Parts: sequence; structure tokens; C-alpha cells
Amino acid sequence: MTSTIALSIFRYVLIVALVAFAGFPIYWMASTALSANSELYSTGQVPWPQLQKLPELISAMAGVPIGRWLFNTFLIACGTTVLSLLLGSLAGYALSRFRFRGRGLVGFLLFMTQVVPEALILVPLYAMFITLGLLNNLMGLVLANVGFSLPVAAFILKSAMDSIPYEIEESAIIDNCPRFGILSMIVLPLIMPSVAAAAVIAFFAGWNEFLFASTFLMDRSLWPTSVGLASFIGQYETPLSAVMGAALLFSVPAIVFFLLIQRQIVAGLTAGAVKG
Amino acid sequence: MPELTFKNLSKSFGSHVVIDAFNATIEDGEFLVLLGPSGCGKSTLLRMIAGLSEITSGELLFDGDRANDWHPRQRGVAFVFQSYALYPHMTVRANIAFPLVMDAFKKWYHLPIVNAVARRRLMKSPDIAARTENIARQLELDSLLDRRPASLSGGQRQRVALARALVRNPSLYLLDEPLSNLDAKLRTQMRSEISALHHKVGKTFVYVTHDQVEAMTMATRIIVMNKGEVQQIDTPEGIYNNPANTFVARFVGAPPMNLVPVTRKGRRLATSNAQAWNHDGELPDGERLIFGVRPEKLQFLAWGQGRMPAQVAVVERLGAETVIGCRLVSDEHGGTTNLVENDLVFVRISGNPRTKINEQCSLDYHAEDVVWFDAHTQTRIPVRAAAPALV
Repeated sequence: MTSTIALSIFRYVLIVALVAFAGFPIYWMASTALSANSELYSTGQVPWPQLQKLPELISAMAGVPIGRWLFNTFLIACGTTVLSLLLGSLAGYALSRFRFRGRGLVGFLLFMTQVVPEALILVPLYAMFITLGLLNNLMGLVLANVGFSLPVAAFILKSAMDSIPYEIEESAIIDNCPRFGILSMIVLPLIMPSVAAAAVIAFFAGWNEFLFASTFLMDRSLWPTSVGLASFIGQYETPLSAVMGAALLFSVPAIVFFLLIQRQIVAGLTAGAVKG
Repeated sequence: MPELTFKNLSKSFGSHVVIDAFNATIEDGEFLVLLGPSGCGKSTLLRMIAGLSEITSGELLFDGDRANDWHPRQRGVAFVFQSYALYPHMTVRANIAFPLVMDAFKKWYHLPIVNAVARRRLMKSPDIAARTENIARQLELDSLLDRRPASLSGGQRQRVALARALVRNPSLYLLDEPLSNLDAKLRTQMRSEISALHHKVGKTFVYVTHDQVEAMTMATRIIVMNKGEVQQIDTPEGIYNNPANTFVARFVGAPPMNLVPVTRKGRRLATSNAQAWNHDGELPDGERLIFGVRPEKLQFLAWGQGRMPAQVAVVERLGAETVIGCRLVSDEHGGTTNLVENDLVFVRISGNPRTKINEQCSLDYHAEDVVWFDAHTQTRIPVRAAAPALV
């Protein structure tokens, strides 16, 4: 009995320690945001947030279009997610269900996109975007991101589709359901956890995008938050509290998005791990 | 209702021929059973009728029209799969209504959001809702309409699959081993229900099974297949009493027909072990024959009273009847006779006799109960006025 209680206490202590370890950067971000810049650079940081510094933080951030940047980030992330899922589900379905010449090659080429570093194709992509008029354009950035997240989404969805018995689709064919209807009404609802997992990967790829955005977007008003945050870093001074305040704002939507579909993701990532 | 005609229908996967030159006609309203061992091509044939598998060569005619290239929806068939293939994410109601919803679906309904709204509205339309509930009531599913397939028993799932097939009121029902996943008791119950359903709807049923009991109890006609070839097309009685060849004789019936290779000399028949007896009825031409007799047609007698001396090897008591497996012996100490496939001659007798293993006995038969096969071709040789096999 005593050992059970001790084990239970130990378990809770461990969980609290792990949560504190994982959550500390967020706490420190908030704490730094609510500190005076002078303290950060001279006397050292007070380890707890000083709420009285909130007006200072707001005035420091008033000079930067953080709302605009967050909106741009949201557009890029959502565009990347929607396009990746739309095209990824079609590609995954084709790779899973159709036997065609070059099927293996298509799979290999999709895989190869994950091997090529982004920095390597930056210059060719830049030249291409000039030709296509996609430079300094959010749509161009979405397309560049989709190029990297689409293969991942396609593979995740293909693997999930492979596990659906073909008889269910044949049954739908007999029931007069067209091929696209089979994908949208039968297959995708059955692999929703994997769709959620692919959505998270695509969303965060778009949300955290920095390299392409800093290269392809020149207008300050088109920047996503990641590029905007980097612009705080000056040659002589970096307003650390403003950077952390913006970073905190930048993190919140992503955390909310993740919390909303985390149950689905866990199911998606473990799908097929245990024989049902 | 379509009449189905197969003209030299063949199906190959690469160089592997699954069905070779299949010829048959399925008439309106009949319950045709495709019977055969696993891998004989019966499910492939069913899938070709449904349009789920391509036809390699030959013709499939629906009411005389070539249907080889028709899309499944043009054929107006309903298909019940072995695994039922229900949509796991939909309720029983949505599963049953799905074919009706699809029939009323317009192309632009496939747009996201519109899709969900359109489906919900169609499901609630008076015609679809009434037909769904009506068919659910017929199959005693009305209390399960809002449940999902995962929460149903095997028999209930099977009924949902049938309801989904019935709701469209198609002209042709294709059933691919729909009872194979059920336990023995439920299988017997569902067998009767499907037969009753056939009588009620009066449509054409094509039913695939490897279970001869299902075939014999449900079919109006049976096509026995083996290795992609038709062995016999006949009524259940015809298949049982006049099997076209030794394969059909052994595949249909439990225990199967006893097949004893014999050499004929005049009216005298001799087995491989020099056991011999005089046959009192008509005999076919030829010297090397196979003597076939059903277990229930054999008489189980005391030693010396029958023409075929034997020794009891197996006794299976089934309650109302007993199946006795005997070895044919030339005398009390002689060796046994080699038969086709196994060395036991089975006798089925009513009641529960006090027969013991190794007991000496003898067997006898009536000449009109014997079916003769050619030892070389393994095909039946007709010797009396019986309906010829249709092969």
C-alpha cells in the first residue's frame, strides 16, 4: 500500500518535472517579454513576469506590423496545408490504388524531394519565380512550401489508404459512387487521423517557414512573423522584450492549432503500429 | 430482369488462366449457385458479372447486349461481399441509404461542404428515408439504424449488407460467400432467410460458395467449377444423383460418394485386392470402371450377408444417424482395397447401432443406385434412363 502511494507520488513529481522542463522556454519567453530591456542588458533578468511592464511592451510593439505579419503567416500556413492535403490525397490515392507504369519512379522522386536541402534549390527557385512573376508574392511562397510538404503528406496518406480494404471501395463503385466521391466520402473520412497528422506537418512547415520567405519576399508588409522577428535584430541593439513578445504571439496560434487536433494526430502516427 | 449469357468467357492474370472458356446462361429469377473449391475462379466470375474485374476474352451478355465494357452502375447489380464491406464511419441508416443517395447525387454535390449538406438533405428526403426504413424493418434492423457497423454482431452486419443490396431494387443480386464469416448456427438461420428473400423479391440471385450444404439447400441450379472450368451445370438433385464426373461426385455430399475402381469381366466386378462380386444390374461398356455409390444407398449388413465383405474402421455417431467408415477386405484376414482418394467406404445409416471398430461386416447395394465412371476420363457413363449431365 505504502509503496503504491510512493510510486504514485514519484510518478506525479516526474510528470510535473517534465512539464516544467518542456514549458520553461514558453515561461521564459513571457518573462523576458515582460521585462525592461535595460534590465536584460545590465542588471540581469527578474525570473518572473513583471506585469507592470505590459504598457512598455505594447508601445514597443506598436511600431511593428505584428498583426499583418501574423496574418501573412496564417495565410502561408493555411495555403500550404490546404494545397498539400488536396494534392497529397490525390497523389496518395493514385499511388495506393492505381497500377501504372512509372509508379515506383514517382514514389522515388517524391522521396527525393525530402533529401534535397532547401538551400540547394533556393537560387534556381528564385530564377524560376522571377520568370513566373511569383517573386514578392505570398502565393509563390505557398507553392514553394507545398513542394516540400506535399510529398510527406502524400506518403502519410498513401500508407493510410493502403490499409483500407479494397472491397469497401468496390462496394462504393457498385453503389454508383464516382471515383472522386469514393476518395472524399469513403477513403478520407476513414483515414482522418492520418489526414490530421499530414495537416499538422504541412501547417507547421508553412508556419515556421523562414528561408524562402526571407529570400522571396521583399515588401515588409508581405513578411511572415518569422522574417519579421528576425528583422528586430539590429546592428547595435536588439529589443529583446519586443522580440519575445512577438514570439509569444507567434506561438499562440500554433499551440492552439496543435491542441485542437492532437488526439487525431496521435491516432494517426500510431495507426498500423499494432495489428488490430 | 436480365438474362445473363456467358460465351467462351475467359479470365487470365498474365499467363495464369483463372477461368477458361466459360459457357452458361442464367435465367430470370433463378437462384444460381457457383460452387467449387477455393481458387476455382467462382469469385472472379462473379466480379466479372459485376464489372469489378475485366474480361480477358469472350462475351458477357445482359439480355443479349454485350456488357463486357459496361461500368458497374450500368449493369444495375447489387453485390454482397464476403466481408460485407460496410462503410465503417457511417451509421446503419447511412450505409443502407448510400446507394439511393448516390443515385440522386449531382456532380456539383462533390464540392467540399456542399457534399455534407447535400448528403444530409438527401438522406432526409421522404422517398429515401421511407425506403431505407422499410427495408430495415423487413430485415429487422429498424432498432439499429443509428448504430455504426463496429457495434453490430456478424449476423447484423450481414443483414445490413443485404439491406444495402436490396434497397436499390436491382434486377440482379450477386453474393460472394456472404455466410462464410458466420458461426454454424447463424449460418443455418441466414441460409433460410436468404432463400425466403429470393422467393419474396423474385429476382435473379447468383451466389458464390464453397459450402455444398449452402448450394444444395438454396440453389435452383448449381454450376460446379474446378480449376476455372465448369464441371457440371444442373439442379441440386441432378448434381447429387448424377454427378458428371468423379470430381463432382466427391465434392458434393458429406461424406462424399464412394468411388471404387473395379475391373469388369462379364457381370463380375473385381477390385484391386482381388475382391470380386457379381453385379445384378445394367453395366456400361468398358473393362476398367469406377463404381460409385452414395453412403446412404449402401446397406450395412452382418458378415457374409452382403456381396462386399468389409471391416469397420471409423464410427461417427451424429445422433439421428451414424456414419460408418469401412475397409473393403477380400476375406477375414485379407488386405484392403484401394479406393479413389481414400481407403474407406462410408455408409450412412439411421439410428445409433452398436457397431465397434474392427468389427467384420459386409456391404450391399441396389443396382439402380450405382453411378458408373470411366476409370480413364473420370466422367460418368450413363447406363440407365437418367437425365444426362449438361457438360
